[in-house]
Amino acid sequence: MTNRANHDPRLAVKIAGIRFNNPVIGASGTFGYGLEFAELIDLNRLGGFATKGLSARPLPGNAPPRIVETHGGMLNAIGLQNIGARAFIEEKLPLLRAYDTRVIANVFGYSDADYMEAITILNDGDGIAAYELNISCPNVKEGGIVIGNSPVAAARLTEKTKRLSTRPLIVKLSPNVTDVALLARAIIEAGADCLSLINTIVGMSVDVNTRRPRLSYGTGGLSGPAIRPIAVRMVYEVASAVDVPLIGIGGIASSTDALEFIIAGATAIQIGTANYYDPTVTMKVIDGLSGYCESRRIQQISSLVRSIGAE
Amino acid sequence: MIEIIATTVSNRELAPGYRLLTLELNDDVRVRPGQFAMLKPRASLEPLLRRALAVYRVDGPRRLSFLYQVLGRGTQALAQLIHNGELEALLPLGNSWPIGRPGDQRAIVVAGGIGSASVLMLCEELSRSGVDTQVLLGAASEAAAIGCGLDDFRALGLPLTVTTDDGGLGEQGLVTAPLERHLREGLGAGATIYACGPWAMMRRVAEIAGHFDVPCQVSLEAPMGCGFGVCVGCVVAVNTSGLLDYGSYKRVCTDGSIFPAESIRWEVDAMTH
Repeated sequence: MTNRANHDPRLAVKIAGIRFNNPVIGASGTFGYGLEFAELIDLNRLGGFATKGLSARPLPGNAPPRIVETHGGMLNAIGLQNIGARAFIEEKLPLLRAYDTRVIANVFGYSDADYMEAITILNDGDGIAAYELNISCPNVKEGGIVIGNSPVAAARLTEKTKRLSTRPLIVKLSPNVTDVALLARAIIEAGADCLSLINTIVGMSVDVNTRRPRLSYGTGGLSGPAIRPIAVRMVYEVASAVDVPLIGIGGIASSTDALEFIIAGATAIQIGTANYYDPTVTMKVIDGLSGYCESRRIQQISSLVRSIGAE
Repeated sequence: MIEIIATTVSNRELAPGYRLLTLELNDDVRVRPGQFAMLKPRASLEPLLRRALAVYRVDGPRRLSFLYQVLGRGTQALAQLIHNGELEALLPLGNSWPIGRPGDQRAIVVAGGIGSASVLMLCEELSRSGVDTQVLLGAASEAAAIGCGLDDFRALGLPLTVTTDDGGLGEQGLVTAPLERHLREGLGAGATIYACGPWAMMRRVAEIAGHFDVPCQVSLEAPMGCGFGVCVGCVVAVNTSGLLDYGSYKRVCTDGSIFPAESIRWEVDAMTH
């Protein structure tokens, strides 16, 4: 049985031909496989969500400790523990099809071949709206960081996966680069349909008693409100450089935060870390965006996209 | 699992650094012994993440108490809560102590330090079920023992052994000493050991339980991001058939927090950070 929620038509957005009931999307790695939230929020009201990063085969992840709280954020080095693409389509997708929300399969690998294998498996799954390539996860020594930080490697991977993919391709950008606009242009020229940004920023925290890193992996990805201004700036820079829809990510915890990204150039937004400390935050942000449209007599939220500086 | 707003009824210091927080909830919840909640003062952004606290006691469907030690930024923020102060709470979370299985005739409950917070309800339930229960409480000092709920454990009327590091109350030494003694005296026959405390204590309890071939359950703690399974930050290494694989790490929040002691790879400490 599919439940339908009453959606505010002003919030509907389109990305790469896909219609989202609203621009609020749960971010990969903070939203599990979506079903974990079914007890807490009405998934039918959610614009969509990106799955935990899926690899061709299941992965164990890093040894603990994997997370540490910092000021205004947290570091994580989960190591991409996941059930694998095959288990996702067999165990999770059938349950997710009962919900009226867009499922974005986040995909990663240690090599181009790994990504292609995962996408080949996921192409068989029914109910996936798009793929999001994680080329920027800073946690796996052999993986993401190299591809995501090199425009040449990122473009090559984008081209290969786009050719294989039966679905629109979103590429999630690494912020750990000198010129994010340069990276964005290379990926768009290689055929990506949409960019999402930003992934976490590489950071480190040291225990002064043991004189060791607080994370077993050493470094981790910084997320949470602390990174928001960096993310807004990067969305603004990329929006000025490319002509595809963007999904803004980085420390969003309220509708005001979401609007910053939309005005700076994002068509939709993803909410990440805030899901941990405020599990119903996505619903609050949707309500807040409706309220903003109501009070300003805005007919379509998409009219605000990249409206920065405009009257 | 529900997301609710709770109101502080009281937040009393039992001993320096140890407090008892009693909350009134705006909805009914049913909590089983060993379950926990994710808590933080309402709308506060420092610290960002909620803190996992074991439910210490239930006084009706809408009134719960949490016993906690003030250790870091999260518990310091909780310590500031005054009467009527509001919290955001997600609960009840995690599995619960497995009790009432056929063949359960005896129980030995071992608590080290603030690990006592996870076992008071267990002791109440064992007592109600007529299980022959021994309680072993270990603490740093008499004051710490009081902070860890000593009076509440005494009030249960169950056989109670207290150990302190400084010998200020009860036996001097580690709580694992009376455990070993009890098992040598044959109290392990038909018994299950339930333990919660520091990693090193539980590791030793697990060794002793293994040596005497007594089933043992442990309640673990780990730094948690969410408490409901999505962040995968709070994992513990578990024994698997050999190679590191997908099943090598379990989430303390949703796969636990209570695990059979023999399933844990004790050489990988999940609690230190």
